[in-house]
Amino acid sequence: MEHTKHLWRAFLILLVLGVAGIFVRHFLIPESFGEQGFYRYTSLGEFKEKPVIHGAVGSCTSCHQEIADTKTAGKHASVSCEVCHAPESVHAAGGQKIADMPTNPSHTLCATCHQFLEARPKEFPQVDVTQHLIDLGVMAKGEAIPDGACIVCHQPHTL
Amino acid sequence: MNEYEKEEPASRRDFLCGAAQQAAGAAIILAFGEQLVAFSEAAAGETAATAEASAGVPYDPLKHRYLYLIDVAKCIGCGACVRACALENDVPDNHFRTWVERYMVSRTGEVTTDSPNGGKDGFEPLLTGQDITKAFFVPKLCNHCSQSPCVQLCPVGASYRSPDGLILVDEKRCIGCGYCVQACPYGSRFIHPETHTASKCTLCYHRITKGMLPACVQACPTGARRFGDTQRPGDEVTEIVASSPVRILKPEMNTEPNCYYLGLSQEVR
Ligand code: SF4
Repeated sequence: MEHTKHLWRAFLILLVLGVAGIFVRHFLIPESFGEQGFYRYTSLGEFKEKPVIHGAVGSCTSCHQEIADTKTAGKHASVSCEVCHAPESVHAAGGQKIADMPTNPSHTLCATCHQFLEARPKEFPQVDVTQHLIDLGVMAKGEAIPDGACIVCHQPHTL
Repeated sequence: MNEYEKEEPASRRDFLCGAAQQAAGAAIILAFGEQLVAFSEAAAGETAATAEASAGVPYDPLKHRYLYLIDVAKCIGCGACVRACALENDVPDNHFRTWVERYMVSRTGEVTTDSPNGGKDGFEPLLTGQDITKAFFVPKLCNHCSQSPCVQLCPVGASYRSPDGLILVDEKRCIGCGYCVQACPYGSRFIHPETHTASKCTLCYHRITKGMLPACVQACPTGARRFGDTQRPGDEVTEIVASSPVRILKPEMNTEPNCYYLGLSQEVR
């Protein structure tokens, strides 16, 4: 039959295209795509491997039990150490100290929680920092707040 | 490379290899077949190494379902959560995975809102010149919606909802088209200025899978932010959500958020 050759040619071309398609698809669709849904399931594991910066609850106490005990007995019990200092990762790695833990004596740190704001819950301890310092005679009206003004009287760990 | 990669018992690839070798008649198929065999061997080697490396990490995403609770009345607007989030997740400046808004409502119902630098540096006293009768802070973050518009429209399958109930973005898939940024009714997403991919809250997936709290929850000194797992027996947050008058943001969007708010005032949008 004279048309057989054409049919075979068409068939071969389709076959080659089909195989090539499967081959290309293999490269385009990443592994684990569709395993749990329309996404790459292995990417979940990649999220897990991101570095942990802040320590787990209580990780500071393994070395600083004393300060932790003092703090826990006071009003700042619920304030995580890292909130006022810095994330654990800048200070310790693998149970070893790698750098000093920063301390921030500035009144601006205290003010982020304790500056009087109308939107703060009424029962939360707060004060107009500038007026408070003027009332105490620490500074005059119009002056800049001296650095470390709060911690002269208020010790954050023993409050 | 991680434990989520598993060996496929009889994959399409293996099947193809076998089929390709048998069809020895066509030279072109054989050529492909050889490459396929080499390819599948390489993949198998990787999988074995992965399984070893991750032995002893028994986290199973199918056994958790997370939820988040915000107690508006407790928030003091200190911004510790925003700072912690930025440090933990290396969030670029002027972009936020979580942020805090201040609402001030006058007697006549005028609403003033602000969120300077996302609340990251705390808030300054604000004079609105109005008779303020109600004022409060509202922490916000991705709501990890059960019916999330961002996942529905992602054209490449980069945004997805994980089995443990989180909305995540696969950075390697994301093409940075920004559709999801526009689709999110809560403004929870942004295009990362360096990677040029969509970025958002992961509820600190790298922490919660190790049994830690998300950075924002751990940093919050007042307990305004709480994190729970509905699959954990006796979970407190699940219990509060089940038994208290909680609200969600923009219920009219039918997104079914998994972040719940206690004491949310109706002015909040
Ligand atoms: S850390 Fe807690 S109290 Fe402070 S702003 Fe964030 S949610 Fe509010």
